[in-house]
Order: sequence, then structure tokens, then C-alpha cells
Amino acid sequence: MEILRGIIDNYYYMVSIILFVIGMYTMLTHSNMIKKVIAMNIMDASVFLMFVAVGYAHGSQAPIIREGAEVLYANPLPGALILTGIVVAVSVTAYALSLIVKIYRYYETCDYDEICEIRSQE
Amino acid sequence: MSQSTVLAIIILIVGLPIIMTPVIMYSCRASEKLRNILSVATSAVTFGLTLSLYPFVIGGGEIQYTLFEVLPNLEISLRLDILSFCLAVLASFVWFLCAVYSIDYMAREHACGRYYPVLIFTLGSCQGIFFAGDLFSLFVFFELMSLIAYILIIHEETEEALKAGYKYLVMTIIGGLALFFGMIIVFELGGTVSLGVGVIIEENSALAFIAFICFLIGFGMKAGMFPLHVWLPDAHPVAPSPASALLSGIMLKTGAYGLFRVIFYVFSPELIQSAGWDLVLSVLAVITILLGSAVALTQTDIKRRLAYSSISQLGYVLLGLSILNSNAVIGAVFHIFSHAFMKSVLFLAAGAIIWKTGKRLIDDMKGIGRQMPVTMGCFSIAALAMIGIPPLNGFLSKWTLAMGALDANMVIYVLVLLISSLLNALYYLPIIIPAFFELPGDSSHEPHHDHHELQFNIQDAAPAMLSVMVILALCTIVFGLTPNNIVFTLSRLTAQYLLGGAF
Amino acid sequence: MGLSDHYPALIVVIFFIAAFLSPLLYRWARRVSAALIISALIAALAMVIALMAEVQQTGVVYYHMGGWAPPWGIEFKADSLRLYILLVVISVSLWIFVFALRDLQHELKKRVIGWYYTLYALLVGSMSGIVLTNDLFNLFVLMEICAISACAIISIKEDRECLEASFKYLILSAMGTGCFLLGVVMLYMVTGYLNYGYLHVELAEAFNHYPRNIFTAAALFIVAFGTKAALFPLHVWLPDAHASAPSPSSAMLSGVVIKIYAFALFLMFYEVFPRVLLDSIPLNEIILWLAALGTLFGSIYAMLQSDLKKMLAFSSIGQIAYIFMGIGLHHDSALVGGFYHIMVHAVTKAMLFMAAGVIIYSTGVREIKDLAGVGRALPITMIAFTIGSASMVGIPGTGGLISKWYLAISALEIGRPVFVLVILASSLLNAVYYMPIVINAFMQQEDFKKEAKPVPRIMLACLVIGMLFIVVSGFYTTPVVTLLQESFSAYF
Repeated sequence: MEILRGIIDNYYYMVSIILFVIGMYTMLTHSNMIKKVIAMNIMDASVFLMFVAVGYAHGSQAPIIREGAEVLYANPLPGALILTGIVVAVSVTAYALSLIVKIYRYYETCDYDEICEIRSQE
Repeated sequence: MSQSTVLAIIILIVGLPIIMTPVIMYSCRASEKLRNILSVATSAVTFGLTLSLYPFVIGGGEIQYTLFEVLPNLEISLRLDILSFCLAVLASFVWFLCAVYSIDYMAREHACGRYYPVLIFTLGSCQGIFFAGDLFSLFVFFELMSLIAYILIIHEETEEALKAGYKYLVMTIIGGLALFFGMIIVFELGGTVSLGVGVIIEENSALAFIAFICFLIGFGMKAGMFPLHVWLPDAHPVAPSPASALLSGIMLKTGAYGLFRVIFYVFSPELIQSAGWDLVLSVLAVITILLGSAVALTQTDIKRRLAYSSISQLGYVLLGLSILNSNAVIGAVFHIFSHAFMKSVLFLAAGAIIWKTGKRLIDDMKGIGRQMPVTMGCFSIAALAMIGIPPLNGFLSKWTLAMGALDANMVIYVLVLLISSLLNALYYLPIIIPAFFELPGDSSHEPHHDHHELQFNIQDAAPAMLSVMVILALCTIVFGLTPNNIVFTLSRLTAQYLLGGAF
Repeated sequence: MGLSDHYPALIVVIFFIAAFLSPLLYRWARRVSAALIISALIAALAMVIALMAEVQQTGVVYYHMGGWAPPWGIEFKADSLRLYILLVVISVSLWIFVFALRDLQHELKKRVIGWYYTLYALLVGSMSGIVLTNDLFNLFVLMEICAISACAIISIKEDRECLEASFKYLILSAMGTGCFLLGVVMLYMVTGYLNYGYLHVELAEAFNHYPRNIFTAAALFIVAFGTKAALFPLHVWLPDAHASAPSPSSAMLSGVVIKIYAFALFLMFYEVFPRVLLDSIPLNEIILWLAALGTLFGSIYAMLQSDLKKMLAFSSIGQIAYIFMGIGLHHDSALVGGFYHIMVHAVTKAMLFMAAGVIIYSTGVREIKDLAGVGRALPITMIAFTIGSASMVGIPGTGGLISKWYLAISALEIGRPVFVLVILASSLLNAVYYMPIVINAFMQQEDFKKEAKPVPRIMLACLVIGMLFIVVSGFYTTPVVTLLQESFSAYF
């Protein structure tokens, strides 16, 4: 029961880990290059999700100061961090996609296994 | 002679050849003669400088001087004592003579522009080995010399030479790695690798034994000890003959020198005898002696036979080292000298025959004594010395070793020495007797026809080559006539120094 | 508050400024853009030296970005160890850049050379930042800049192999980054800090309550940095990437970039994670055994290669494993050996790749078997190659021996002589594949068949500088070794 209660309470983290594993598995095993890039994004997004979830405390509000009584604020630091992280992930995605475009021009396929076959035949 | 003068001389001895190497390399652009003269001059000057250390050393002088520190507790230092002096003066002497010999021999070969600088550089690194004061600089010069000698071995650039050179290189690197391992263990157990602290490792332990085995592998590989001798019979014959003489005469001795230093200055003789490690060395030495001689019988190429003979002769030195009493060590050091003289003559004579007639197989050498009497005369003297016939120096060294063996109550070693002398006779006499007393190409003539055709048809080698051989042959005679010669005295003093600490 | 107080930040910023200005200048004033990067490199080098002098006198220098103190602000830390690595990085980068000035015109299309300079400056700047930073998220950002610029200087050549190799590197690097970020989250979850100093203190306390989080984070860091630094068996991207890149990029990647990640792993284990972690769970054993396998397998794979640059790339895998062995042995002499090897291998491998670059520039030959006799056509290059190979094998008189010496001593001191045998075996295997190239180049009867274009003197000068450094580092070791020993004594 303890374990189940633990999982339900921390479902953000569980989902995040599941997404991370999905992302990593896809990135390593699927041969289509665009799928790899998407999987990389899923992996990064899962970590960002976990980061933000860490900053959340039960019953807290958005971290914008209002006058009045003392309110529990969610931790703004992870949010700031993942904004940076998202920018980084986007730039890596952009670069990866441009590489895929160039590779496509040479090999006419987006599938990594086919590319390896073409190369081994040369 | 003050200490600083001696230090300056030592640094000059090691440094001059190394500095002269690029000079010689570029002097071939000016003229070949200049290059040859520079090479001979450099080796002569080195010999002279080494000889000048004699009064200092004979007066009991010993120097251990630290140059600088590479790592904490690891210093580069110089050492001069009577053992290093003996080997350095021997090396520079033989090198000088071989340089003179090379001038005529190499005039017919290609790529001399590579040969001379390498010859001089190997001289410098060889002297560096002998004057090294700690295991690290010994290792540095040892590796340097071994790697540069590769260029001498593959000089001919035939496929055989390249294969032999490759085998040599691989074994050199394996030996170097074993030496590195041994050195690391010594540093770990003893805290220092300097040769000036007396004894580095005092106690027996598994790690110390591993270090001893590693040193045996590293230095024994260079000295042609069984079972690491496999590079020798391929490498020595394919090199040009003066280089073969140097390889057999001096470079094998660097391995023996390393073992001397290891036994006397890293582990002490007491430790080795009490731990029973001398048994390992003696077994390997006996096998080396017998194996070298036995296989030499089967060779038909003269240089290959001489190479196997070298293997077995170095076994004598190792045997002396394993017995470790006064006579045995005297015999070992004296045999280093005598073998250098004898084997150099043999290889140089073989080289003269190849140079003059192109013949390498022993069967083709019938009657060559009448064509090249001086050459074959020197060859015969050296061969008889190898067999151990008095009054030549080979006999003196075998006698001393046998005395040492008897002192240690090991009659079996005397037997081994006798058997090996017999085998030496079995493979040298068939070279020298047909050379003088048979006709070329044919041995089935009837005796009374021979009187007409046993004429001397002298077409000997060039005078420079001949004079070198004659000088070395004279050394085998002079230094063997009586035990009262300078070389034997030096050996006696060395043994006294090593075993007793002073003399 | 003079300029000298801002040196830690300036070292990083100056490269970014140069990176952004360079393409503008390249469009209109071509020559100036290379000069700009060189002056940035020299200025950074001068700043590093000034910082080293300051650190020697006053101790560790902490720099707070924007004046905000940690744990809210980002902190840069300059101590003697980091400055040593920084010195190696920047001077080797300067040296490779001087080489690249002539080589790039031959390898890249004209219009992208300005962009290469930009990427180079970004790469050096981000690496300087990785070395100096004291904050985990800052490390993440700089690692990503480094990854993109490293991939980009491979793919800038724009031919088939390098694009695909670059993509493989990017994907695996991104996987490493994902793992790293997850590890950071794990640590942030239990402590709420991202600053190394604060983490070190807090984790010692948090280890009692949440050991599994910290253990997971450590494992994720090993995977992340192992992938990026090509620890066996995560090295699979390295051979294609380093072999297909233009020569200065190969030199830079093999020589410097992979070392930075090994250094980052060292920082994680010794400055972020508490001592109790390594004492209770022997994570360094894993690194040690993977490194031991890496030295052997790197050499074995290298023996099978026929392309010169691929062989050098596999050799890099084996050599970086020495550095990891130093970290894995968990002993101060081992760390000295590993870090000395960072310096020696950076110079040696960069020089070897430069020599390969000269051979390709001059003759166009890439296959090892076609290299017979090239020593007569390109003597200085092949002598440089010989000395570099000697350093890789560990022949005495070169710097390679010193690092192996320290590793071997420490392996014996902790009572595990099997690793000495591993080091010796890998030295032998190194000799087996380096020696034939050297022998072939000099000793073959037939002369070199192709025509050899004359090599610009600046490239040869770079090779000569490398040779001199390798030989000097084999003998004059005291300043570096003393610096390293002092730095590591604090951790033990």
C-alpha cells in the first residue's frame, strides 16, 4: 500500500521517468532519423517536466507576489532553469534537423539503416 | 684528476657522438670522405676520452653524480666505477676499429648516408648506458640504443632484413616493457631507482621475484638468453658486417651489463643466493650455452653460425653471474672482453670474405685461406681462442670460469664448459681447415695433385680492413698469454669491487 | 574593481564576442576575422596566466556573475587545477588554430571558413566555461554549446561521411545530456542547490536520507560524461566523427574536447558528490574496469584499421581510457598520472592529427598502406609522427612515459598489479600499430608514388613545436607534477 500511495502522490515523477525511458529507447533503437530527433525532444521534455514538478509544493500558487497575506509560492527557480533548457533543446533540434536535410540530399532517405547499407555497398 | 674534470669527460663521452650525429648526416652533402673521416674521428676521440679515465678509475675513484630530478625521487644521474669503465673502454675501442673497417666495407654499399650517423649515435647511447647512474637513465639509453640499432639491422632493406628487423623491434619493445615493469616494482618496493645507494631491495617477496624475472626478460632478451634469443640469429646476419660485429660484440654485452647492475646494485648477491634465484639464471645459462653451440652446428651460412655461437658465448657470462663467487665473476667480466675481441674478428673476417668474394655459405669457403691468408689467419686465431686453446684469451676465461665453478662445488658446470668447447671445435674447425687445406669447390682430389694446386693466390681484403682484424686478433693473443695482462687485471679488480665493495 | 577582477568571466565572454563578430568581419574584411580569433585566444591565455599568478598568491578565486552570490547566482571558481586544464585547453587551441589557418583553405568551401572561425571560438569559449563553472545548470548550458559547436565543426566539411558522423555524435551527445539533466534533477530534488560547493556540503547530509537519489544521479553522470568522453563501451560515435572531420577539427576534438568531459566527471566525483558516496559504493571500480577494457579494445580496433585518421581516432579511445583509469584508481598518484596524460595526450594527439592533415594536404593519401616511402617526401612530418608514436607507446624520453609511470606506481601502491599489466599490454599493442607506419614511411625501397605538394612552413612549425613539447614534457616534469600533487592532496 505504501508503494502505491507513493506512486500516486508522485505521479509527476513517474510520468516523467516513463517519458524519459520512451525517449531514450526510441532514440537508440528506431532507425528513422526524424524519429530520433523527436525522441530527443521527448527525453528533454520529460526532464523539464520533472524539474518543474520538483518546484511545486502542495497547495502553492504561481510565484507572482501579490499584496496581502502570506501565500505559499511554487519555486520559480526550476521554471527559469527550464526556460533556458527549452531554448537549448530547440537549438539542438534545429541543428539536428538541418543535418537531416543535408543527409537527405546525399542519400535520399531518412532511414539510418538504409544509409548504413548504402555506405557498406560503396 | 678532479671530480669535475671526470664529470666533464663523461658528459663529453656520451654527448659528443650524439651531437656529431647530425653533423655527420649533413657532411655527406659536402663529401663522402669528410663524412667518413668525421665518423672515424668521433669514435677515436670517444675512445681517447674513455681511456683517459683510466688513472682515475684504477686509483679507486668512483663517481655518482645527480644531474637533475625528473619526478620526485627519480633522478637522472651519472655513475663511473670500474665496471662501467671496463665496458665503456671496450665499447669505444671496438667501435673505433669497426668505424675504420666500415670505410672500406661500406664503400660498396648503398645508403651510407644513413649508416654512419646511426653508427655514431649508437656509440653515444651505448656509452650512455654504461655511464648511467640510475635505472631510469639506463632504461632510456637502453631503449634508445636498441631502437636506433634497428636502422642498422635493416640496412640492406631486403625482405629478409625487414622481417628480421621487425622481429627484433617487437622483442625489443617487449623487453622494454618488461624492464619498465621491473623498474616500477623496484621504485615501489625500494623508493628509489638510483644505482648509488648500494642495494635497493633487501627482502625477498613475490613482487621482488617478479621484478627479477622482468629484469631477466628485459636484459636477457638483449643478451640473447634462451628463450628470448629468437631475434638474434635473424638479426645479426642480415646487418652489414661491421654492424654485426658491433651487435655481437658490444650490444649483447649491454644486456649482460644490465644484469650485472641488477644483481649487484638492485638486489644483492646474498639475496639472490639465499632466495634461490641464481638457480633460475644458471639453468637458463646452461641451456643457452648448449643450445647455442648445438644449433650452430647445423648452420650453413657463416654469419648465422657465428650468431648462434654468440648466443652460447653470452651464456658463459650468465653462468659466471649465476655462480657469484670471485673467480666466476672475474671469468664473466674477462669473457665479456675476450668474446668482444674474438667475435668481432670473426664477424669482420666473415665480412671481408663476403666483401671480397660474395660467398656466405661455409661450403663455398674451401680454399679461401690461400686467397685471403691474413683474413683467414685472423679468423683462425679467433676461432681457436673460441674453442679455448691456450695461450689465447678464450682459454683464460674458460679456465677462470671453471675455477669459479669448482670453487662453488658445481662440477657439472665444468662439464658444460668442456662440452661446449668441444662443440665449438666441431663447428669452427670445419671452417678453418678446409679454408687452408682444400681446393675451392671440390674436395675429392687426390693428395699428390694438391701439391701442384695448393698455391697462394693472394687477393686479400683492403689494408684498412686487414689492419683492424690484425689488431683485434693480436688482442686475443696478447690478453690471453698470461694472466698478468691489463684486461685480466681489470677484470680481477672489477670482481673484487663488485663482490667486496672496494679494492 | 579593475578589469582583472573579472578575468574568470572575461575568459569565456571574450570568445563569445569574437565568435559573433567573426562572420561580420569575414564578409567584409576577410583577414581581420582570423586575427580576431587569434587575439581572443592570446588574450584569454594571458588572462589565464595572470589568474594563475593570482591563485598562487591568494588561493582560490571565486567570481560571482553579476555580483549575485550563490546559491542564487552563478559562480565561477578558479583554482590551480582548473587553471592548469584551462591553460592546456587554450594553448592547444591556439596552436591548432594557427595550423588551421592554412589547412582550412584546402579542406572547406570558401564561404564557410568564416563560420568555422565562429564555431571554433564558441567551442573554446564553452570549454573554458565548463572548466571554470561552479554551477550545475551553467555546466549544462555550456555543455550544449560545446556539443553543438563540436558537431558543427565536423559537419562543416559537408561531405557524406562527415554529415552522418556528425549526426550520430549529436544524437548520442544529446542522450548524454538528457541523462545529465536527469541527474541534476535528482540532486536538486534532495538539496535544492545547484552550486558545487553547496551541493558538496548538503549531499553529505542528504546521503543519510536519500541515498538512492544520489546514487542514481552518480550513475547517470557516469553515463552522460562517459558518452561524451568516449569511455568504452560508449565510444561508438568517436571513430567516424574524428576520422571524417577536417584535420584541425579532429585535432581539436581528439585532443581537447573529450578531455574536458573526463575532467567534468572528475569534478563531479570529487567536488560535488560527498566522500561517503565513493566510500560506500565503489563507483570508481566500474570506471576503472571500463577504462582497462577501453585501453585494450581501443588498441585492438586500431590495429584493424586501414584509414590513417580512423586509426588515430581509435587510438584516442585507448588513450582517454588512461585518464579514466587515473580517475578510477582513486589514488592521488593515479590522478597525477591521469591529469599529466591530459596535457601530454592533448599535445601528442593534436600533433598526430596535424601530421595526418599535412600528409593529406600534401599528397591526398589517407590509406595506411599507401604511405610507403612518404618519409622521404615529407621528412619533418614523419619525424613528428615518429615522436608522437613514441609518446603514445610510452618510450622513455617522451611525456607518455611519465603518465604511465604514475599510473603504474599507484596501481602497485593500492595493491592491484593487474592494472600495470593492462598498461603494459596496451603499450605493446600501441607499438604494434604505430611502428609499421613509421617503418613503412622511412624504410621502403620504392619512393613515394604520388607527388607531394610543398607544405606551408607554418604547418611544419606547428609540428616542430609539438615535437619539442613532447620531448621536454618527458624530462622537465616538476612544475606540473608539483601543481597536480598539491591539488590532489586536498582530496585525500
